[in-house]
Amino acid sequence: MIKYMKRRNVLKSMAIAVGGAVALPSWASHWLAAQLPTHSFLSNATSSLLATVVETIIPKTDTPGATDLGIGPFVEKMVADCYSKTVQENFAKGLTQVDALTQTRHNKGFAQCDTAQKIAVLKAFENHSEAQLREFYGLVKQLTILGYMNSEYVMNNITHYEMVPGRFHGCVPVK
Amino acid sequence: MSNVNIDSIKTRTFDAIVVGSGISGGWAAKELTGKGLKTLVLERGRDVQHVTDYPTTMLQPWEFEHRNRLPHDVKQENPIVSKCYAFYEGTTQFFVKDKEHPYVQEKPFDWIRGYQVGGKSLLWARQTQRWSDFDFEGPARDGFAVDWPIRYKDLAPWYSYVEKFAGITGNKDGLATLPDGEFLPPHEMTCVEKYFKEQVAKNYQDRHIIIGRAAHITKPQPIHLQQGRAQCQHRTICERGCPFGGYFSSNSSTIPWAMKTGKMTLRPHSVVHSIIYDEKKGKATGVRVVDAQTHEMIEYYARIIFVNAAALNTNLILLNSTSHRFPNGIGNDSGVLGKYVAFHNYRARINGEFEGMLDSTTDGRRPNSSYIPRFRNVYKQETDFLRGYAAGFGADRIQYRSQDGIGEDLKANLSKNKYGLWHVNSHMMGETIPKESNFVALDKQLKDPFGIPQLRIAIGYDDNDEKMVKDYQEQLTEMFTKAGFQNIRFSDSKQAAGLDIHEMGGARMGHDPKSSILNRWNQLHACKNVFVTDGACMTSTSTQNPSLTYMALTARAADYALKEIKKGHL
Repeated sequence: MIKYMKRRNVLKSMAIAVGGAVALPSWASHWLAAQLPTHSFLSNATSSLLATVVETIIPKTDTPGATDLGIGPFVEKMVADCYSKTVQENFAKGLTQVDALTQTRHNKGFAQCDTAQKIAVLKAFENHSEAQLREFYGLVKQLTILGYMNSEYVMNNITHYEMVPGRFHGCVPVK
Repeated sequence: MSNVNIDSIKTRTFDAIVVGSGISGGWAAKELTGKGLKTLVLERGRDVQHVTDYPTTMLQPWEFEHRNRLPHDVKQENPIVSKCYAFYEGTTQFFVKDKEHPYVQEKPFDWIRGYQVGGKSLLWARQTQRWSDFDFEGPARDGFAVDWPIRYKDLAPWYSYVEKFAGITGNKDGLATLPDGEFLPPHEMTCVEKYFKEQVAKNYQDRHIIIGRAAHITKPQPIHLQQGRAQCQHRTICERGCPFGGYFSSNSSTIPWAMKTGKMTLRPHSVVHSIIYDEKKGKATGVRVVDAQTHEMIEYYARIIFVNAAALNTNLILLNSTSHRFPNGIGNDSGVLGKYVAFHNYRARINGEFEGMLDSTTDGRRPNSSYIPRFRNVYKQETDFLRGYAAGFGADRIQYRSQDGIGEDLKANLSKNKYGLWHVNSHMMGETIPKESNFVALDKQLKDPFGIPQLRIAIGYDDNDEKMVKDYQEQLTEMFTKAGFQNIRFSDSKQAAGLDIHEMGGARMGHDPKSSILNRWNQLHACKNVFVTDGACMTSTSTQNPSLTYMALTARAADYALKEIKKGHL
């Protein structure tokens, strides 16, 4: 994978360095978040619960949602790679609690609930009396937003990120 | 057999050896090869070729596995380098990891290093201000360290020389404290930066806000195109390496230029152990190198040696170069080698908000900021501390997206860009006073992975620094308040010395061999064919970002070295 990425970047670098438009062979484009390997500090069932939680936080509407953009696996990977064991354990515990609360309230799994029920369950964690569970929810939401806002779709279509602005104007009217 | 040895020695003999390929080593390589000297450039790290060895330079934000955050184990294994603002997922390949080159902290010191061809020139913040005589005359006037053996007039033509080649953006501000250079067109100041400039000019006699001077090509000149470098594209991800060569680095500029002469041999993976001193000839004859891959010791020979290993490593090499003549390190008759090290005090910051100019914002990105040249104790001593500070200054319109809600509400909020007030910020760049008690020395027992003694580092703040932080807080708060900025917040990171990455001195220049290591031409007083032109040579630090001065000193010393060779003196 590293080798593949490297080769592609060199090609891109060359394309840009010579000032031409970036025209690359098809094998060099489309490297999607959805292809990221998943990490396994969560069981398969908990992983899919997480995917449903992040889809609830950022759902598909007329634009792609968390599932379409691979945010579930991304959040899982971030927690696995970038946080301590303590945070990981609290994260897994939080997901178990989501499941437990849903069972208590609705006598079914989180994924089987309707949108309003799902949101209500998550809001219960946002305002939970236990600090650890509030932190769990805060982290899921924060990482979901991070993955979403830094996704190829959002950066290209909503925030219009420019890799190469080529300019700086210090004072322009607010549009 | 003897023929083989002679041949082998021949292939290991050059006119000049340059130790290090960072910002000053690259210049030494360019200048010496440019004058026709067959030059060996030794780099302890791997080769990094311009463009092809910048693996992350074209990656989009979403292509980073962790969206440019550092994995937990990287932070755990690297508590020191992880503190550096420029060390993130996209740049880890250019920084030395903590375990690669251990050292002893007698006082807390964050030693940030880049071991590869190009060194830290790939990673630097690219600010390039000239010194003035207010800086060179500082130690003599204020009675600390020793007098600099040079003045502005000695360096001015060399500043011009390196600026034209490197490409420096800036505005001719006509300030006595910060001489103008050979500038490419300046970056724009933002509306509120310009407003602050006017306010400060109205409220103070000798305080100025100017656009930063930086090593970015804002308008390529023929000399830049000849280097294969193009206009800066304002990507502001410089520390990943720039495929345009938009900012100056050894990799994009001096090293390939030197290579084109056909006179340079570049040897990566070459850790210099020490300089070889010939007692009979009374001069240095070469260097001992440990091959980083095979751990084999190899000797290389040359008529002159430029030591540009970066300030503290240059000290380490000189201290480790012992002989009958120099039992305490080459050139160290005075005993001051490794001492009088100083740095820049980067601890303090001030932030605030401005409620005006809300119909305006900025567009695009700027790899630069505004700058406040030193105004304290310039014309006379006016405070209870020595010297002063420069400061960075920036004003940007706050833009944000509400993260309230869950589900469709949140998604709708995230789709709306909102404008806040203007955010204004400043950071302090204080001069620290070189002292005998701020030093580096070789540890008597501990060795690094190459069998070379580890460096003991004892460098820290003093009372003068504390007073200066307080003054910065008071003065900037007053300047911000008078300009109508609100919600002003001061912070002192208390960061250890070293994190400024401006460590300097240890082999300081001076008139007198009894109190300094180098003369006015950056030669060891006691061994004239060894030159030191990196940060180790600095007698004092002033407040300017130092790299431009290293470049100018290097070009000047190389020119002198060649003249001395021609005269038969070297």
